[in-house]
This record gives sequence, C-alpha cells and structure tokens, in this order.
Amino acid sequence: MGFLAPLFLLGVGALSIPILVHLTQKERKEVIQFPSTMFLRRIPYQAVRRQQIRHWLLLLLRCLAILFVILAFTRPFFTSKKGVAATLMKMGKDQVILLDRSYSMGYGNRWERAQKAAKEAVDNLGANDRAVVVYFAGTAWPAGNLTSDKLALRKAIDSVLPTAGATRYDVAFRAVQRVFADTARPSRAVVLISDDQRTGWTGRELPALPAGTSFTAVNLSDTLTANVFVSRVDTKYREDESAKQERVTVKARLANVGLKPILKHRVVLEVGGREMQSKAVDLPANGTAEVEFTELPVPPEITAGAVRSAADSLQRDNVYHFVVARKQPLSVLVIQPVKGDSMAGLFIRRALSIGDHPSFKIKTVQPGQLSASDLKDQGMVVLNNVPMPDDELGRGLEKYVQQGGALLVALGSRSDPARWPSFAKELMPLPTGAPVEQLAEFGATFGFIDRGHPVFEVFNGPRSGDFSAARFYHYWSVTPGPNDRQLARFGDGRPALLERRVGTGRVLVWSSDLDGIWNTMPLQPVFLPFLRQAAAYAVNYKDERLTGTVGQVVTPATLFGDDVPSADSAAVRGMASEVKQYVSLAPDSQQVRFGKAGAPPTLELTQQGIYELKRASGDADKRLLAANVDLAESDLTSFDPALLEVAVAPRPVPASEKSPISAELERQDLERGQAVWWYLLILAFLLLGLENLVANRLSRSAR
Amino acid sequence: MSDIEAFLDPSVLARIGNLELLARTVVEGFLNGMHRSPHLGTSLDFAEHRIYMPGDDIRRVDWKLYARTDRLYRKEFEADTNTNFTVLLDISASMRYGSGKVTKFDYARYLAACITYLSRGQRDRVGLVTFDSDIVEIIPPSAKHLPNVLHAITRATAERPGDIGPPLKKLGEHFRRRSMILLISDFYAEPDTVLEAVGHLRQRGNDVMAMHVLDSAELEFPFDEAAPFEDLETAEKVPIVPDQLRDEYRKMIRQHIAELEGRLGAQGVDYAMFDTSQPLDYALFHYLNRRQWLARVR
Repeated sequence: MGFLAPLFLLGVGALSIPILVHLTQKERKEVIQFPSTMFLRRIPYQAVRRQQIRHWLLLLLRCLAILFVILAFTRPFFTSKKGVAATLMKMGKDQVILLDRSYSMGYGNRWERAQKAAKEAVDNLGANDRAVVVYFAGTAWPAGNLTSDKLALRKAIDSVLPTAGATRYDVAFRAVQRVFADTARPSRAVVLISDDQRTGWTGRELPALPAGTSFTAVNLSDTLTANVFVSRVDTKYREDESAKQERVTVKARLANVGLKPILKHRVVLEVGGREMQSKAVDLPANGTAEVEFTELPVPPEITAGAVRSAADSLQRDNVYHFVVARKQPLSVLVIQPVKGDSMAGLFIRRALSIGDHPSFKIKTVQPGQLSASDLKDQGMVVLNNVPMPDDELGRGLEKYVQQGGALLVALGSRSDPARWPSFAKELMPLPTGAPVEQLAEFGATFGFIDRGHPVFEVFNGPRSGDFSAARFYHYWSVTPGPNDRQLARFGDGRPALLERRVGTGRVLVWSSDLDGIWNTMPLQPVFLPFLRQAAAYAVNYKDERLTGTVGQVVTPATLFGDDVPSADSAAVRGMASEVKQYVSLAPDSQQVRFGKAGAPPTLELTQQGIYELKRASGDADKRLLAANVDLAESDLTSFDPALLEVAVAPRPVPASEKSPISAELERQDLERGQAVWWYLLILAFLLLGLENLVANRLSRSAR
Repeated sequence: MSDIEAFLDPSVLARIGNLELLARTVVEGFLNGMHRSPHLGTSLDFAEHRIYMPGDDIRRVDWKLYARTDRLYRKEFEADTNTNFTVLLDISASMRYGSGKVTKFDYARYLAACITYLSRGQRDRVGLVTFDSDIVEIIPPSAKHLPNVLHAITRATAERPGDIGPPLKKLGEHFRRRSMILLISDFYAEPDTVLEAVGHLRQRGNDVMAMHVLDSAELEFPFDEAAPFEDLETAEKVPIVPDQLRDEYRKMIRQHIAELEGRLGAQGVDYAMFDTSQPLDYALFHYLNRRQWLARVR
C-alpha cells in the first residue's frame, strides 16, 4: 500500500483526544448546590476508579473514526496487482479515434466504411471510458475534448465529410501526443481509421505513442483501385495580330492509375464557369494522355477555368483549376553596344522573349540612338555592357529609376570605371579597378546565392536549377554600398549580383556580362528562368494568375506586391495602423477578412477551387488563386498497417531512466482511480453516527 | 388519589400556606381515614372512663355505658396521657435542599406541625426547639403553646450552618421532666456525633424519636454531568464527576442510614428515615405506633 501524503500519519497522535475526553469529560460550569459534601469529600477525586475507562466500545468507535479521517488525509492507494487492475478498470481508458479525412477517403465507399468503423469504436467504449475524434488530413484537429458522451462523438463522425487535403500521418500522431499530454489516465488507446495511403507516410519518423497505449488500425484500403485524374494543365498564349486579340490554348494531362485502359474518356474545359469544349481521350492502363483544347480568345478580365474529367470512384482529383488572364506584356528597353556586335543582347532578347507571364516586349537601342522618349512607359531598362549616359539622358535614367523604373546593368568589357559619370554612383554600385581574371582552373563559380531572395526563390527546390555549372572568366570587382544587398557572390567573395533600391525603383547589377563572352552563364539551362525571374523581380511583376495546393499557406501581401514588415520590427509598431488587410472569398463563398495590424496576414488554402483575393481598402485590384488538391493523394497505393503499428509502438523506458514525474503521476493515477479516501471518510461518518447512538444509550442506562 | 391521601401528599400540602390549617387538615383527615388506612394494626387502646364535662368531644362519649347507666362518660385512651412533647427541629442550611417541589425543611415543618397538632390532640403539652449549630428558639412545652409552636415553625428559616452536637448537649439540661422528644433532622454528622448528641437527650429517661429527613436526590444521586458541587452549609465546592462516584456515594449514604438506625435503635431511640417524596401518613402512623408502644411499656 502507498500513501500520497504520508506525513498526515503523524496525526495518529490525535487518537489520544477521545481518550482524554473520555477520562475527563466536560464539566458543567454551573454549580450544583448540595446539602452536604460530607460523603462526596470522602471519595478521592483523583481515585483510580475515575481514570478507568469503562466504555471500551465508545472509545473504540471514537478512535476508529479519528483514525479513518487521518488515513483519508494520507490519500492511500493499493499497489498490488489486483488493486492496480481494479483501478484501471474503474478509471476507464482514454481513447483517440483518428479519422482520416483526406480526399482519398472519398474513393468508393471508403468514407461510409470509415464512419461505420468510427461509430463502432464509440459504441465499444466502456461506461468510464472517454474518447475524442481527431480528424486529420494535411493537418490534424480534434472535434472537441475527451468525453464520455457517445452522442456527441457520433455527431462528430456523422457531421463531416472528407476534405480536399492530403494524408499526413505524422501530424495525426502528434495530435495524439497532444491529447494524451492533457490526460492523467494510464489506460489509453488509439484507433486509426484510414486507407493507409503510402504517400501519407513519406518516411519521416512518426511520433511514438505513450507507454501503455494500445493501437488498433482499421484498414480501409482496397486491394484493387482504379483512378483517373487531371495531373496538369498548361496554358499557352498567343497574340493574334490579325484579330488584334490574345488567344489561349489549354492543354491538360490525364493519368490513369488502373489496370484497365479507358477509351474515349470525356474531358471538359470550363472557362468562367461555363463548359466551353469537350474532348474524348483514350487512356492506357497505368499511363497518361494529353488532351489539347481548341484555342480560345482570352477574356478581357482575369477569369477562372477548369478542366474536368469524367466521374469515377474518386471525384476530387477529376478537376484541375486554373486562371486565365491577359498577358499584359512589359516593355523592356535594352541599351546595347554598337550594331556590329551581333552577339550583343542576343541571349537577353531570347530569354525575355520566351514565356507569357510576364511577357516582355523588347526594344533595343544603341547608346548613340537613345532619346528621352525611349524611357517613357518602359517596364525595365537594360544596360548591357554599356555605361550610363553622362548627360541629360543619364539624369533622365536616374529619374526614371527613382520614380519606380527597373534597371538591370550587365557589366562587360565596355564597363570601365572611367566611363561612368560621377552621378552614376548614386544610382548603382560601380565597378572598380580592372576586371578580375579567373582563367586558371576553368574559371570561377558561384560561392554564394541568396536563395531566400525572390530572384532565386524559385530555385529552392531540389533539381530546380543548377548554378554550379556556370563558369566566370572575367568579372568586375564591384564595391557594394552600405544599403546594397548582395544576392550572389563568386567563390572569391566578390559580388556577382547586387540590388539597390533607388526611390521606388530597383537596380540590379550583374558583375559580368550576359552575352556569354566573359562567362558561360547564358549557356546554362538555368539562365533563362534566372533572367526572367530577375527581370520580373526588377519590375515588381506580380502574376495575376496564381496557383496553389490545398494545405499551402500564402501571404496575400506578397501576391499583391505589398511590403510586409516583420511582426517584431519597430516599423510595425510605428505603422501598425497602416498594415494592409485583405479579404478572401473562398470557393464555398465564405468571405474572410484577415491581416491584423502588426502580423503578416496569411491564408491557408483549405478548399479546392478558386480563391478571390482583394485588398480590404476596396480598390479594384484582385487576384485569383487556383487551389488544386495535392495529386500525390491520387496515388491510392497503401502500405501494410502492421508497419505503422511498429513505427508508432511505444518506446520502452528503463526503470532507471523513468522520470520521477511519471512515477509520481502513476501514484496519483492509482490514488485518484481508487479513491480510497472517499470510503474512509464514509466509514468515519458511519462510525461517528454509531458512536452517537451508543453514547446516548449508555447515558440513559446510567440514569 | 382520594381526598384524604391528597392531603397527605407533601406536594399538595405545599399549596397550603397556613401551617395550622395544614396541620389540622392533615391530622383530622388522617384520623378520620384511619379505618381505611392500609397501615393495619394501629389502634388506640381504651384506658378508663371519665365523667363527661361540657366541652368534651362528644365523639368520645361511651354511649353503651350511657345506655346502661344513664350517665354520660367519655372514654380515655392509653394515648390520652399528659405528656411533654417537644419537637427538635433542625433548621440548618442543609435542610433547605430539595430536588422537587418540597424541600427537606418544608417536609420537616409539615411533620413537626402535624405531629405537634396530633400530639396536642392527645392532650400533650407541646413545645418546640429550633436549632442549627446552636439553639435558635425554645418554646417550652405547654398545653397552650400549640399556636406558638406552629407560629415558630412557620417563621423559622434554614439559613445557617448546623452542628447537631452542641445544641443537643445544651438541651440535655433543658428537659427537667421526662418528655417525649421528636428530633427531626437530616443528620449530616458522623454517627458518633449523633449518638453522643442524642445520648444527652436520653438522660432523665426522655423518650426520643428520630426522624431522618432526606431528599430522594440525596439517596439516589441522579446527577449526570460533571460539575462543581457546593455545600449548602460550608459553601465549599467540590468538583464531581457523578458517573464516577454515584455507586460509591449511594453505598455510603445507605451505610450511614443503616448505622444510625442500628446504633440509635440500640440506644432505645426510635429511628425512621423519610423520603420527602413520601406522603406524611407514614410518618404519622409511625409516630402513633411509637406512642402506643410506649403506653404499653409504661
């Protein structure tokens, strides 16, 4: 037997109280007049007879009552196996019912089977058991607190459907840990109701269940599955000069994950919510096919589109949303060396000519042909291996940048420091000294790339752009100013790409050329997306056509190109009232206003479909974001649930390493479960009642 | 309870304020009801005839003799002797105690008044002595002193501490003529002291009757709660746990009563103990029995 508060045992000394009371009794304060104390005085007051205990039963009852009260305060509990087992039975268990709500659970009748299994788990709960339903897909969230209310649990199961999210088992089991962290019951259970999709367990280590937790997996996967889904949609824009109209071609790729080929599978193109075209495509077994729709005119305003595949057992991945918008080409003025240099600007023009969003309209001039009017309405000016004009044109260029223009400077053989006007240093970091030669060891390479910068952000993922292959044989040494940002450096630490903010415009300085003479950069596959990305950043281009994946978190301020100070910056505190707020209209038409002052507003894409985003200030500028499901979820391949059970099995903790806190928790659990103190207090109460009866009877008989 | 018995109940008598009335009522009622009394064996033996004189109680006329002689004669009984009868009434503070409606002092006064009245009815010369630790009042026996005695009994109060020895010693010299003495007390003294005191009274052949008056609480000690007990005479307080010593006390008081009865009886003193809850007829019967016995002995 154990005691939670053994110090109270010292109170056993209080057992002497009834004995003292029994012997001395309470004396009346009132004096009794008696004719003569002649005989009373003859009987000694301190006679042994007075101190004898005559009513042993009364004394025993009083002592036992006090003893039981003392023992109740010590909070005793039984540590025998029988006692522990009885406690566990009495306490009941806490159970987490993990209900997979990823969209693959919409395949066939999986969801109905899942609900049935979940309700069976609820029905099997004992009278003292508690449970909570935890939904999970890309994230996990409980549908309430641990409860014994079976009606509430069944309601939590019946009232929901699969979401558009993808499966992630690690977040599900972390949610289990959070639930059990708040419960003290030692008996725990987890019931996983899922289709055990392999893509949901990407090899990350899963959190182990707490010790003593039983685990049951209800496997809802099917032996044979067949699914067709739209895996990709591409849009290609074309300017129809004759019709003076922009046109778009939509091409979709479909995948058939099934053992049987599908012939004449219907695919529909919707634009603006209306069915525009329908095609039939033959899909090979476990294969893909493409369908290209007839070219359409681009609507004048940004419009939502969708490609829908014919219905099958899994509906969610049968539709792919996209956004159609006019190209809005940006004018780029390339100032390049004399006409005789045929390579001058070639790579720049070719790279910027490819692609739609943004699309660039390029005009080239030589320094001698440049006029002030050339700068007007230009989205970007490129100084390709030419210095800045040192006259009014140069001042005009400076003013252009200050007023929001973009300037990309590629330093080459004609970029001698002496050729730059003195005021140019206000606009950009200038080359110094002589060009750096790196002819030995096959040239220099990049030593640092700021992949957090929007220019290089898109290259963050694996196999998304290899800069290491580029070789630099010559480059200028550029001294950055105090506020210049180095976006890339060579291996020797000299800046390769710098950014300077001038007024409301941006200047990017590339320390080597972009014509492939001083380096091999234009010859690398990464050159095209790099230059387009650098140009798009310089002009602060924001694609109105946005795509995302359900589960992704986006920052609307970034989508609108608005500045977002960090939450803890002094600027935020000073301009808290000026932080922009945004309004989003979700696919289910729910409008949400978000973006509290002082914190970057974010939007989690929880639904499949088109999100419409606007600034809360009410201006007409809007963005459409096409949120599609994570297509990894369309792969219905399942894993052996036994592997999952092993992966989340509780780790055994050696007794020597057992946390004293957990040991104490077990003692508290036993004591709380057995509640021996309650029975002791009841017994004490009954004994006091019995003592009262006995005392009254003895008193009457004494009379 | 019959009307006669009602008048013998001390609690009823307590409602009668006038002691003389009380005594007459009790005695006449007692005498009239004697033939219905459960106390059998009491009788007044015929002693002689005397010429009837006007004013005598015509109930004493011997009508049979008149029928034979045509002369009126009244009967004289054995008790009809002129005796000095004195009541010694203990008026010490301890007599003030009473657990019910009647205190020991009240009971003793009723006894004294009734027996004096009865005695006067027997043509005794009655007297009274009240005492505590000393003699308080003396009314010498006289045929005319009944009102005085009743008056003295009425106005007596039990206030002061008592000591039976000294006053009785003094009284031993007082009774020059052989008398009948009725000592009414609660006898809170050592038996030796009582015997010695009573012994003084027994000088000169006085006939002493001792009536030991006690309250039922003094006999049973029915108290429950521990409390300080205060002596009515000495004001001494003694802490008492009744449960602890009740049995011992009862034993002691009974031993005391038994010792007094035995030792006084050995000295020729008629001793009787009266509980104040008992009706007075028992005391009266006891007195009359004693007179009858005395008459035989003489």
